[in-house]
Amino acid sequence: MFESIITQFLSGFGVVAILVIAALGLAVIFGVAGVINMAHGEFIMVGAYVAAVVSQLGGNTFVAIPLAFIVVGLLGLAIERGIIQWIYDRPVETLLATWGVGIALQVIIKLIFGPELLYAGAPEMLQGGVPLIGLLPFPKYRIFLLVLAIVMVAGTFYLLFKTNFGLKVRAVRRNRAISGCLGIDTAKVDMMIFTFGSGLAGIAGAALAPIKSVSPPMGFAYAVDSYMVLVLGGVGNLWGVVAGSAVIGEAEAVLSFVFNNVIGKLLVFLFIVLIIRVVPKGIFGYYERR
Amino acid sequence: MVEATTRLTARLELAKAKGIRRTPLVPLWALVGGAGIVAAIAAYPVYGSNTYVLSLLGKFLCYSIFALSIDLIWGFAGILSLGQAVYFGIGAYFVALSLKINYALDNPTRYGGKFPDFMEWNGLTELPKFMEPLISTPFAIACALIVPTLLALLFGVITFKRRIYGVYCAVITLAESLILQDFIIEYQAYTGGFNGITDYDNYANMYFLWFILGVTVVFFFGVRALTHSRVGVVLKSIRDNDVRAEFIGYNVANYRIFVFCVSAFMAAAAGAMYAAWVGLISFLDTGPVFSIEAVIWTAVGGRGTIIGSFIGAFLIKGAEFFLSGVLAFWWQLVIGGLFIFVVLVMPDGIVGTVANWLRRRPRAT
Repeated sequence: MFESIITQFLSGFGVVAILVIAALGLAVIFGVAGVINMAHGEFIMVGAYVAAVVSQLGGNTFVAIPLAFIVVGLLGLAIERGIIQWIYDRPVETLLATWGVGIALQVIIKLIFGPELLYAGAPEMLQGGVPLIGLLPFPKYRIFLLVLAIVMVAGTFYLLFKTNFGLKVRAVRRNRAISGCLGIDTAKVDMMIFTFGSGLAGIAGAALAPIKSVSPPMGFAYAVDSYMVLVLGGVGNLWGVVAGSAVIGEAEAVLSFVFNNVIGKLLVFLFIVLIIRVVPKGIFGYYERR
Repeated sequence: MVEATTRLTARLELAKAKGIRRTPLVPLWALVGGAGIVAAIAAYPVYGSNTYVLSLLGKFLCYSIFALSIDLIWGFAGILSLGQAVYFGIGAYFVALSLKINYALDNPTRYGGKFPDFMEWNGLTELPKFMEPLISTPFAIACALIVPTLLALLFGVITFKRRIYGVYCAVITLAESLILQDFIIEYQAYTGGFNGITDYDNYANMYFLWFILGVTVVFFFGVRALTHSRVGVVLKSIRDNDVRAEFIGYNVANYRIFVFCVSAFMAAAAGAMYAAWVGLISFLDTGPVFSIEAVIWTAVGGRGTIIGSFIGAFLIKGAEFFLSGVLAFWWQLVIGGLFIFVVLVMPDGIVGTVANWLRRRPRAT
């Protein structure tokens, strides 16, 4: 029993990696632009479809990831320019508009690809598992996801803290009005960050496609998980995403094993609600000056 | 008595002196028009014979109450809940379970069991002990109304007391309804799971239509009175600027909790009547998609205008019933576009836009 829980804990790292990958794009957008993108799940779904198409054309995940970043990034750019740029000042209503975008994307994808499931295989070198001493083998693809999660977080950190653009982003996040006074084009920063966040969602889709069948409604579950990660971890701090994912992922992996999937989810939800009762702005949002 | 009258006159005088005009609860023209519509719906079984239209009328009235419950918290208190269907669904499930259990008592299953057939399919051999009280339908109805209200109270105490609202509240309520949905699917032996609860005696008749209509009218006036009272003014001030409302000295959290509970009660009542009227309830009726759909009815009708939720629910649901057959899944695209259109172009909804237009026109001429 104890050993199995250890195994679950280890495989929980895979869940954590998935959550980080899925939630990062959302966190970047919400942290800077203050918009919760309800179409996030559908962005992930479009990324997964890119991966499915690439794999049908003979490519693999490594090709699909950059391609999905570009395709979904451009999609996000179009949606930002067309819809979201007009409603930044009404965050709650953005929920509705982006939900509408999500529905529309699902229908359009269904029209193009049909309602049936598509598959995107993992590259050969990532199939199979790595044996762990005395425990069940750990799937190689999960290790790849862990590495990818670390790379994505590191890349985002680099962009936000080591580049000129990141400096502007952080300035806008701290104080939009004064950043504008200092000559930063805040609308452009919003646009760029929305595009970047959408691209990250695309990467998530391409990377998650091999572990889940690709279908139009696939994104919703990931999106809700991502929202919970944000609520728990706190927005505006990338460590919040990591912390939120770690708590939710591990709790879900272990609790789902001890009880069952649904009870696990319910307990995790209650757990999240209890935590934010103590720290209403999330684990890493608490000391935030606003 | 005389003293009270003088005091009242004095208050009215004071109000007049301050330039405060008491608006009537419902203007006369609306009262007359509304009475006409209510009469037209109530008399439908007399002049119309189409049972399909009859069933739609009852359904739409339940949807309207549901939309009204969202309008109350979103339009008047600024709380956007994307999980309002949780309360609708729990109310509906209590009633549906009770009706199903009673139906099974009279109509044994294939193997002679006197308990709901979906329980038999899932390997239960008798009605679970904890469900036995539901044999009493009044008890089930009481549960259907009280349990969601208490749940809303609990939710409100947990979140609003810690100033969690706005986008956070929306996301948490969304997750709440998703989990309830998963729960219902997983514990199918007790809830009917994926297929929902069906095959029981529903009440789609004239008298029940009148009952639903009566409840709708009561809720309409109730919400109207609430939002026109002092409490309503405080709620609106919280919606517009909660920080200032708190500075003035109002307990913002308690007002929010109160209105959230009232709204949950209304949603539960709508769900309970819906289950009894339609005779089919499934996990979809508690899910996030249904919740958000109802939000869009309110948004289209005009949030913050009570009549808007009725107009929105009747228009969109009506269009869905008549057009979704023709448009197939293009209908989904229409709904998606509607979300974007309402937010971008018509944030006040139909009623709000018309009201603005009427208000502006005399000034322009």
